Amino acid sequence: MANFRDWALQYVLSDEDAFQHSIAEKAAREIESTSANRATVGNWAASVQPWMSSSLAGDDDRMDDGDDGSSGDIIARAKALGFLAGTLEALDKNILRTDQLTFLVGFFGAMFSYDHKAGITASTKALRRISTMKGFKPDMGVKMIEDVSKLKEDFRLQAVATRLEIYELFLSLIQNQAVNSELQHKYGASSGFVVDLLQLCQHERDPRNLMIWFKIIATLLSDYAVSPEVTEETFKAFSAYFPISLRASATPIGITADDLKAAVRDCFASSQRVASHAFPFLLQKLDQGDAVTVAVKVDILRTIKACVERYESPQTSIVPYTEKIWNSLKYEVRNGEVKETIDATLDVLRAIANKLDGSRNQKLPIELLKNYIDVVFKDCRVDLANPTYTKQAGVLVMTVITSNIRGYVLESAALTDCVRQNLRQPKSPSHTKDLLLILNSFLKSRSELVANRKKGHPDDEEQLKSESRDHLDALFHDTYLKIWTANSAEPESENFETLKHILQGLALLANQKVVQQDGSASLLHSGAACSEICALLSQVLLKGLTLSSNDNVTSSSLEEEAQLALRAVVMTYASGYGEFSRKAKAEIQKRDWANASEYSLEALKSLVFRLAFVGCSEIPSDLAVDAISKSPSPLQHFITLTATLLDLFPLVPASSITSPTKESLPNSYIVAALHAGLLFFKDACISKYPSEALVSHSKCDANWIDEFSALPQNWIQLLYASEAADSAIESKGEDSPEVYRQFLRLSLFLTRHLYRAVSVGPNAVWNDRIVGQVANIAALVIRNLSEQVQITCGLAREAFNLFTESSTASSPKHTSELLTRGVLEGLWPGAMAELYHPGGIAETFLCQHLDSEGLPPHKCTTRASIGLILTNKYKGGPSTSDPEGLVIKQVLTFWGEKLQGASTSDVTRPLDTLNTIAMHVLAGAVARQDKHVLDVVPTLKASLASDHPNGSAVAHSLGILVRDSDLLSPENHAVVRRFYKQWTYSQLAKPLYEFALPAVDKPSPAAAKYRAAILSIVSNCAFGVYEADLEPLVRLLIITLGAPTTDPGNREHLAPALEIMVEILTNEPDALKSHIKAIIDSAMAVYDGCLPGSQGKPAAGETRAAVARRNAALTASRKLVLQALAAMPKKLEESVLVPFSLPLQRMLGLACGDPVREVRQVARVARENWVKIA
Amino acid sequence: MDNANPTILNVSQLPSRAQKRAPRAGPDSKYDAIVLSHPAWADDLSDSDEFGGDESEDYVSENSLDEQEIYDLISTVMDPEHPHTLGELNVVRLPDIHVTPPRPGSPRGLATVLVELTPTINHCSLATIIGLAVRVRLERVLPPNYRVDVRIKDGSHAQDGEVSKQLSDKERVAAALENNTLAGMIDNMLKTCTV
Repeated sequence: MANFRDWALQYVLSDEDAFQHSIAEKAAREIESTSANRATVGNWAASVQPWMSSSLAGDDDRMDDGDDGSSGDIIARAKALGFLAGTLEALDKNILRTDQLTFLVGFFGAMFSYDHKAGITASTKALRRISTMKGFKPDMGVKMIEDVSKLKEDFRLQAVATRLEIYELFLSLIQNQAVNSELQHKYGASSGFVVDLLQLCQHERDPRNLMIWFKIIATLLSDYAVSPEVTEETFKAFSAYFPISLRASATPIGITADDLKAAVRDCFASSQRVASHAFPFLLQKLDQGDAVTVAVKVDILRTIKACVERYESPQTSIVPYTEKIWNSLKYEVRNGEVKETIDATLDVLRAIANKLDGSRNQKLPIELLKNYIDVVFKDCRVDLANPTYTKQAGVLVMTVITSNIRGYVLESAALTDCVRQNLRQPKSPSHTKDLLLILNSFLKSRSELVANRKKGHPDDEEQLKSESRDHLDALFHDTYLKIWTANSAEPESENFETLKHILQGLALLANQKVVQQDGSASLLHSGAACSEICALLSQVLLKGLTLSSNDNVTSSSLEEEAQLALRAVVMTYASGYGEFSRKAKAEIQKRDWANASEYSLEALKSLVFRLAFVGCSEIPSDLAVDAISKSPSPLQHFITLTATLLDLFPLVPASSITSPTKESLPNSYIVAALHAGLLFFKDACISKYPSEALVSHSKCDANWIDEFSALPQNWIQLLYASEAADSAIESKGEDSPEVYRQFLRLSLFLTRHLYRAVSVGPNAVWNDRIVGQVANIAALVIRNLSEQVQITCGLAREAFNLFTESSTASSPKHTSELLTRGVLEGLWPGAMAELYHPGGIAETFLCQHLDSEGLPPHKCTTRASIGLILTNKYKGGPSTSDPEGLVIKQVLTFWGEKLQGASTSDVTRPLDTLNTIAMHVLAGAVARQDKHVLDVVPTLKASLASDHPNGSAVAHSLGILVRDSDLLSPENHAVVRRFYKQWTYSQLAKPLYEFALPAVDKPSPAAAKYRAAILSIVSNCAFGVYEADLEPLVRLLIITLGAPTTDPGNREHLAPALEIMVEILTNEPDALKSHIKAIIDSAMAVYDGCLPGSQGKPAAGETRAAVARRNAALTASRKLVLQALAAMPKKLEESVLVPFSLPLQRMLGLACGDPVREVRQVARVARENWVKIA
Repeated sequence: MDNANPTILNVSQLPSRAQKRAPRAGPDSKYDAIVLSHPAWADDLSDSDEFGGDESEDYVSENSLDEQEIYDLISTVMDPEHPHTLGELNVVRLPDIHVTPPRPGSPRGLATVLVELTPTINHCSLATIIGLAVRVRLERVLPPNYRVDVRIKDGSHAQDGEVSKQLSDKERVAAALENNTLAGMIDNMLKTCTV
């Protein structure tokens, strides 16, 4: 006994939670050690006697007044009770016996009658603990509720935290199943305890407490059979809070307004017993009109939806109110403007339809749903005829009917009939448009219902099987086609919208599926009807070609819509694409393309590209039109496109081609469309299949090239005509990524076919432009293949054999070089290893075939590209035949020597071809940071320093080494080291500064060449590369810009110098500050020097093209000067620029009259920026 | 507000240089840039000299400062009352802009630009300020050899003659621009102008 008293005293005197806790623990262990015998528990309970006696013996006055003396008592008393509660918390739940618990419940329960100040918190804690103990009996729970309810008015006076404890106690008790039974047994339907609770808690305002209070109410309503009167009282208790909001508080409490809204919503939706109160209450709130804000409206609508979804036995809880709900809600959509409320309203209407339909497991009588839809439809039918409300009425009725399959099957015919009737006599063009929109969205919803048919009740699918289809069948001829005919006769801009809706509708219509008796889906329309739809869509797309430019008034947006619609149709109705391509082919072949007008050429271009887009930008589904026809292959459209375009080529025969320009454009468009078709199909695969599947399916063990040699030359055409069977291409479902592998195989065959055609065909057809396109196709196709396939197929060899049996590498014609470039561009370095044997193909090609002089620039570019790829894609490494890279070393040395040799040769003009090719060959190795490049650096420096005219040409072409090129992109599998530009700059450009900027007293004639070399490299690098050398670089720029522009040699430096200047201004303007006068002066001089008149008359032998090129270069320089000047005021401080403001503004004023528009635009920007510098 | 409900033109209805050629824009043209490009390895067609004639002259005339360019410069000036540009309100019209270029051979010789404005209503009290803004805009962006003449179109305003006279009086224009309120208003109107 003494122990407990001491401990209680220590507990009361202490203010530390941890200490108090340890004392409670000790007491608990003591009780446990005696197995809670009577004496110990008695001692423990009596230990708080000294503090209790004063209170229990005290009169009401003392308790209420709470003067100074008693407030100390209250605290001590509260702590003493806390000692008991703490001990209970720490005590084993199984140790106290029922009689002891009854005693304790009595003791703590008494506190709620006598000690409203000190006893509540601790008692509540103790009671909560007791309610979880083993010896707890339901009647104790009832007593607890009764005792606590005695707090009455004083409940409101308790601290928030105390109230929270009490709410938690209530919640745990009423959620307890045994207490639930006991309460219902004791109180019956009258449920007096509920009334007590409601009275007790009716004024709660704290958000945290409210959250639990709402949970208690929801539990009472859902788990207790209370009388209607009590239900009404309860409803009043929580509905008083609706709509609930939360004032923003400085101290966040972790509860949001949305949490509170959801909690109140739970009360509304907790039981269908409140339905008779809830719906009228909510609708009355909603019907207050403008007084309700959007947020409240949405809250009301969501609450109604929650009620509809959660109430059980809808016949009694929802059906009586559906009409009322509909009558209130329809105006929210009919006259509503706010999207949130409209959406929330439609959600409610949909929820009602789904509730009345029944659940996944059990359907309700169909009359319920039918009556509801009838009410909705009756109102909307009138509105559908009224153009002002057509759209809204459509949305309403569509939402209700297409909520579920039963509703759809029940009323879809009536809806379509009603829309069709209105379409026959539309009130205005916009009325037609709205009605078409309704019809379109109806078809869309129908597709979704059919697609999701297996997710619901098994009856749903049965319903769809027996659906009447007459109204759908009639839509095409009776509705869409009629309106199309009426509107397309005289297409005006206002009709275009209507026509677009029809095109969209046709696509939806042709894609409609019906459920067969065996549960499978097939197309709604027969092949003939689908074919008719395709014909209509094709006709729109063919108009460009069939009508003259004056007659063709179709807008391009309508054609775009038609092509999207046609694509959608042919993805399910596969034969449609064949029909379209045949028509297009026939239409194209009707004409003589040798002398086509620009309009016809544009029409041809649009048509062939659309042909590619319609067929290849998605993967067609493998759905058969009917049970007899076989499933189409996902590759069918791709094969059709390829075969059609191959048949069309060449549109202009060789005999009609006199010049390579205009006449070959039609041919070029055909090849371009083929290329586009490949790109579209690849995109379709990427979006359809996961990327891992694409990677794994780009591999294959078979040597496709060998397989191809056994196939006929016109294999693709035979596949198209279904005369060649290919087991791999058939029987692949649209969902299998195997489609991608087959696509790669087909496209490789196509590449081979084209390459072989080039090598035997008439040369006039295969001009450089078209051969270049073929090479690009090859690059695309080969790029997609995995390294392993490239090796198996020996594609590295084919780069030089060009897919023919005999090697054509011995005849270095430009055509075969273009083709070689195409193959090499797409190869992986690993697949090219065999080329790099010492003395092998690569070495021979790089050292012998590339070596030539005096080529026209475009041929030179082709050879240079091959050189670049070959030196770049060298993999090397121990597993190859040339682990040390001796071949590359040999090649680089060869070209280094060639350059050096040129500077000592007798030729007195620059050797441009040699320089370009040599630099490209080096550039490939430079990108890899090949160590052998360093061996060539001294040779390069020597050749650019030479007095030979080629020296300065070498200096100018050094930039090629670091120039960005598509050939070095990752998708071409190029080998590019991250910092190769820094590496090159430090090896080649940096050491040249000292020669480029000689001291004033030691002028050097070679300095200009060094400057050209540095500029050429730096202008191809990012700012970060040369950032450390700004000081000498800026001096170099000033010298360059100060040189007279009449000298063609100086002119060539201008553009790179100005580009670098703009770059420095953007990144580090302060570097220019100290030289600003020299820079501005020379910039002004450069502008004047680059005006067209300043260069004098063109030289006698100069061609027109050369003059045009020179003018373009001058224009570019003027533009760059002005760009640099325009950037200055934004980048430099005003004080630095002020002295130059006036002369510059004069100059910029004149520049606003520059002969070239683009330059004038920049001049205006510069002038505006400089006006601000006063 | 003088005219509370003016007619507003859609941006696509305004005259522009780009409109003269309608490029392909549908989804089928996604890869045009790749498949129709004219790369360096193809025949260098620009090298052929077969067409003859002096191209540099065509080049200049195609690029000369014309009515459309003047229109582009001033049609983006904001109306002082409405949140629309003068182009959208049809105050500035392409046929009412006349450019007399410098005589051939003297690119920096005298040239004139005449702009006739059409106020949205014939008693518009802001016609003068609109005219002033157009004038300021042109003077800021045209080279010094261009004389700018801004007038109110005959018959489009109750006091067209008087307003036109005010706008061509250099001293009155200079005096107006000294007025801070007016200058601020004009700056606001020109805020939307990009070069």
